[in-house]
Amino acid sequence: MARLIVDCVTKTFGALHALDQVSLDVGDGEFMAILGPSGCGKTTLLRQIAGFDKLDGGRIVIGETVVSTVTQHVPPERRRIGIVFQSYALWPHMTVAENVAYGLTVAGVRDPERTRRVDAALTLVELEGYAERRPSMLSGGQRQRVALARCLVTEPSLVLLDEPLANLDVHLRASMEEEFARFHARTGTTMVYITHDQAEAMALADRIAVMDRGRLLQVATPSQLYREPADASVAAFIGEGIVVPAEVIDVDSRGRCRVDLFGLSVSMRCPLAQTPTRAARVCLRAANLAIVGAGVPGIGARVVRSVYQGGHFRVEAQLDHADGVLVHLAAAEPCRLAPGDAIRIGIDDGWVLPETGEIVDSTAPESADSRRFDGGTVATGADG
Amino acid sequence: MNYLLRGVLLAAALVSMLAPLSAQAQAPKGKLVLYTSQPERDATQTTAAFKQAYPGVEVEVFRSGTTEVMGKLAAEFAAGAPKADVLLIADAASMEALKKDGRLLPYPEARVAGLAAGTYDADRTYFGSKLITTGIAVNTAAKSRPASWADLAKPENKGQIAMPSPLYSGAAAIMLGTMTARPDLGWAFFEKLKADEAVAVRGNGAVLTAVASGEKPYGVLVDFMAFNAKAKGSPIEFIFPAEGVPAVTEPVAMLKTAQNPAAGRAFIDFILSDEGQKLALSMGYIPAKASVGMPSWLPPGTVIKLMPTDIGNVVQNNSANLKRFSELFGN
Amino acid sequence: MADTAGLRERAEETALLWVLVAIVAILSLVPLARLLFEGVAPGGRFSTAALSNVLSSATTWTAAQHSLVTACGGTALAVLIGATVAVLVALTDIRGRNAFVFCFVLPLMIAPQVVALAWLQLFGPSSTLLKMIGLAPAMGSRNPLYSAQGIILLLGVQYAPLVFLTLRAGLRTLPQELLEAGLAAGAKPPTILRTIVLPLMTPPLVAGIALCFVSCLGNFGIPAFLGIPGNYLVLPTLIYQRLAGLGPSVLSEVAVLSCLIGFIAVLGIFLQDLMLRRRDFRITTTSNAMRPFELARWRPAVEIALWILTIVVLVLPLVALLLSSLVPAAGVPLTAKSATWSNYDYVLFDHAAAKRALVNSFSLSATAAIVIVLVAVPLAYFLVWRRSRLLRVLNLAAEMPYALPGVVLAIAAILVFLKPLPVLGLTLYNTVWIILFGYLARFLVLGLRPVIGGYYQLDRTLEEAAQIAGARLLRRLATIILPLVAPMATAGALLVFLTAFNELTVSALLWSSGAETLGVVVFSFQQGGDSTYAAALAMLTVAVTIALMLSTLLTGKPARGVLPWRD
Repeated sequence: MARLIVDCVTKTFGALHALDQVSLDVGDGEFMAILGPSGCGKTTLLRQIAGFDKLDGGRIVIGETVVSTVTQHVPPERRRIGIVFQSYALWPHMTVAENVAYGLTVAGVRDPERTRRVDAALTLVELEGYAERRPSMLSGGQRQRVALARCLVTEPSLVLLDEPLANLDVHLRASMEEEFARFHARTGTTMVYITHDQAEAMALADRIAVMDRGRLLQVATPSQLYREPADASVAAFIGEGIVVPAEVIDVDSRGRCRVDLFGLSVSMRCPLAQTPTRAARVCLRAANLAIVGAGVPGIGARVVRSVYQGGHFRVEAQLDHADGVLVHLAAAEPCRLAPGDAIRIGIDDGWVLPETGEIVDSTAPESADSRRFDGGTVATGADG
Repeated sequence: MNYLLRGVLLAAALVSMLAPLSAQAQAPKGKLVLYTSQPERDATQTTAAFKQAYPGVEVEVFRSGTTEVMGKLAAEFAAGAPKADVLLIADAASMEALKKDGRLLPYPEARVAGLAAGTYDADRTYFGSKLITTGIAVNTAAKSRPASWADLAKPENKGQIAMPSPLYSGAAAIMLGTMTARPDLGWAFFEKLKADEAVAVRGNGAVLTAVASGEKPYGVLVDFMAFNAKAKGSPIEFIFPAEGVPAVTEPVAMLKTAQNPAAGRAFIDFILSDEGQKLALSMGYIPAKASVGMPSWLPPGTVIKLMPTDIGNVVQNNSANLKRFSELFGN
Repeated sequence: MADTAGLRERAEETALLWVLVAIVAILSLVPLARLLFEGVAPGGRFSTAALSNVLSSATTWTAAQHSLVTACGGTALAVLIGATVAVLVALTDIRGRNAFVFCFVLPLMIAPQVVALAWLQLFGPSSTLLKMIGLAPAMGSRNPLYSAQGIILLLGVQYAPLVFLTLRAGLRTLPQELLEAGLAAGAKPPTILRTIVLPLMTPPLVAGIALCFVSCLGNFGIPAFLGIPGNYLVLPTLIYQRLAGLGPSVLSEVAVLSCLIGFIAVLGIFLQDLMLRRRDFRITTTSNAMRPFELARWRPAVEIALWILTIVVLVLPLVALLLSSLVPAAGVPLTAKSATWSNYDYVLFDHAAAKRALVNSFSLSATAAIVIVLVAVPLAYFLVWRRSRLLRVLNLAAEMPYALPGVVLAIAAILVFLKPLPVLGLTLYNTVWIILFGYLARFLVLGLRPVIGGYYQLDRTLEEAAQIAGARLLRRLATIILPLVAPMATAGALLVFLTAFNELTVSALLWSSGAETLGVVVFSFQQGGDSTYAAALAMLTVAVTIALMLSTLLTGKPARGVLPWRD
């Protein structure tokens, strides 16, 4: 079981900064998700960790061993990690059993030990009896599981998963998520999970690292990420947060403050270091918004559209006097709102985005020691 | 018996024992490397017969077309380690070129008695082994039987003639050189052939195939090929034209760099001997030594009118002739 | 500790790379350099006489132009035939597929000069077939094959199987869903061919085209038979003509002409690289091979057309060959009375060299094929996936021994190996081993190009997964990469074997007693006017090849796609 340390890693392709001073610390046995839109650099980061590419700056440490620096490079075959590729990368000319057994064969493990371990791995992923099939005869989900079994049979210290559920349908995804979670609970392997799907990340990960355009934006638990995003892009990316300008009136010492939002006064959460300011931005969630009647404090808005989502409606509305700010919220069924209707929206909570918008690592796993995160503040103990 | 007598007797005994040994020691042995452009079968028969006559010699043969043999030799010369001891190739022109380059080892003691004059080099560097004439071959289904070279080149025969190309065949090159030097034929003859759309193919084998299959009913071909094919049933006739026939002698020579000159000399001796000449006769050739006899396909009493060949002249004009031929027959 | 193990591995990989570099250098660079040396410094003295003679002669440039014309024309025809056949065989539901492929590939087995001769007879006045249908030309009329068009026709027919083999191996990897996506979008099969199949098949197609071009450029047998009579020279026959002309400067002129051929070949390679660079042809899915397009009412017509093609390309020349092997002498008409087995008797029993030649040719070709494939797989790895610059330069050099006429390579080999090897003191000259060297040098590119095409179609994550599993380079090459490129590698091995089996021009100068090859023996027979023996031996060769190819059908199940006539 290893700790993975990614320390100020940089990778450039020509003029493009695929990775820009990314630093990350994954604890022993932790399930870390790396979340971000396409092109954010997460796959590049994975390839660096795996050793398929060389660094342009920084270093990577797996367990006790420095595996990558600008001058040093341990090749992938010596890193003792496992990878589940997005395309599964099952060898078409081998049976399932041969695919899974490959790593053992390479390591010199012989029968009957080898067969035993292969069978155990297949059982782990619920594919007993599939040993003699060929990959082309399997469904997507089954191939996924073979890839997982192959990865695990050598008992690696670190497992990397590259968007493993991307090619599966919704139901399969749900059951595979369960699979991963169960597996992680059972074996306690350190896992790094690359995905663009936040629901997956939220469901599975101990902590999530959000990346965009080669930079690491925030590393936090799913809950903290949701409740306390570090900047506007994280806020918008996670849970479709609505970022609006507001004025912070006053702050109390326990992480709450009073905020003026287009004339509405709302009590919101805020970073401990927050000070009153006219130029703040806040993150609102649809769950904190509701359509209110007259007499209840709220902001006027005009409905843009209303979409049925099975049991409730998603209402998009444009706030009055707010320079075209668009919000969305849920309205219970039945909802007879039509585009152009005037409504009033009440807000019961929000989060004030930290001023500097730099990386906030809300929990450092072992200690609150200073970490090199470009001078970002380390807020401890925030639980919103 | 006194010691002196015993000593003499012992010496005499020793000498008498040594004499056959020394006679044996004079017999050539070891390896002989032969490069030849004879047809496959003939090469095999020649080496087999030679081995019978000289059992101590192991013969290694490289057999290919003249071009390939000369190419291989050229490469070996360039690399500085020629492997061949003796050469038996189709035409004297190639031999002359080698002689000029100083590659040949003269064999002044060769027994040339009985050989027709002009078939061996005056400096005894190469010796003709047989007489191969080039005449007119005709498919039995052809419309006419040309009796002379002039007849062959008649306009009636347009598009029906095949000939070996001098650009690829040393024997044909000699034929070109010989015939263009004659006032009754000269370049006019070849110009007429060109006007007749004669096809110059690569080698006599191709001419034989063309004539025998009927593709080109008239051909310029070497005698033994036509006659051997006829003997096997091919519908082909051979005609000795009235003006005479050019001939090549398929000379044998030894290289200066020969590693086994004794065996080389033995080989040359064999080729020029009655036995060797009879062998050539049995293979269907006209031997260089007239006393040995004439091949069976030659009607008795036929007088072969050989065109005289000034080999030095031919060699000198060779590249000019080839160039002119190449230009004439279109590029 | 991980460091030293890592160092050892890197050392292993570097060692492998340098071994490959050495192999290619020895096979290609050394003979060429020696030849070049001969061109500018014959006999050790520097001189540009040969260079100026050759380059200033109009014949040289005419021959070069002819070479380009016939090479381009032959390639175009071969691609047309080969690609059409490959698409029909791999993507449609024609019946009798395996039998057809078998017959289509077989002409590669027949020596080009034998093919040329058979076609000449076919179109000539003594052609039995034409006589039967009353179209036999009058005796002595000009054979239409003696022309540039004739050369192009025969070159195209000769090398169509080459394009077919490489393209078909590539088509096998085309997964169902890519084509079905096109069908679903409403595209008709011709559109799908043009917009989906063709672009994806660019690597194997380009590999086939490049091979074809270089083969046509260096082909000697066909222009020798069809071009020489009309004095239509191409560079290889010009070289041969120069060799025949003797003179002390002949080798240096030959060397200069060879460089000219090499130059043209290099241009062709640059084009191939250009076409393959910077485009992604990788196919990552592992689904089943394509379900064929259905031809419906076109099917019978297509099948008939294909079989007519086979008959024209294979059966007719073979029949002509068979007929001429059964007559006692050239030109004797074949009747029940005149038919005889005497030619076969002679070749099989009386002629020791023919039997030896069969064994020699078979072992030499098989050895060359296996060795070349074993070298080609790691070589292509470094060329395509590691992009080793040193190897890319050498890659160009590897084309040369194939592009140059065989006689030139043979001369180069003689120049290099005449004297015993330094250090080892072994003499390769006049042994079977120098012929093997000639084959390895000459046919390396035949085995390499298809394998390179195969790498372009592989997804590298398959190798990366093996790396993660801990496998080192050699193991990955052997257990993961080799099985995946096997179809293309086998196509390459087959090409090498088939071409080497009947090869003539290289062994013509390199053979010695005991080390005869089939091509040499057939050639000797032809030259000596024994065309019936030549025909008998050629027929025997074809029979042996058919037997070998048939025997592969009897053995167990090889991986799919390894043998083109086994599905």
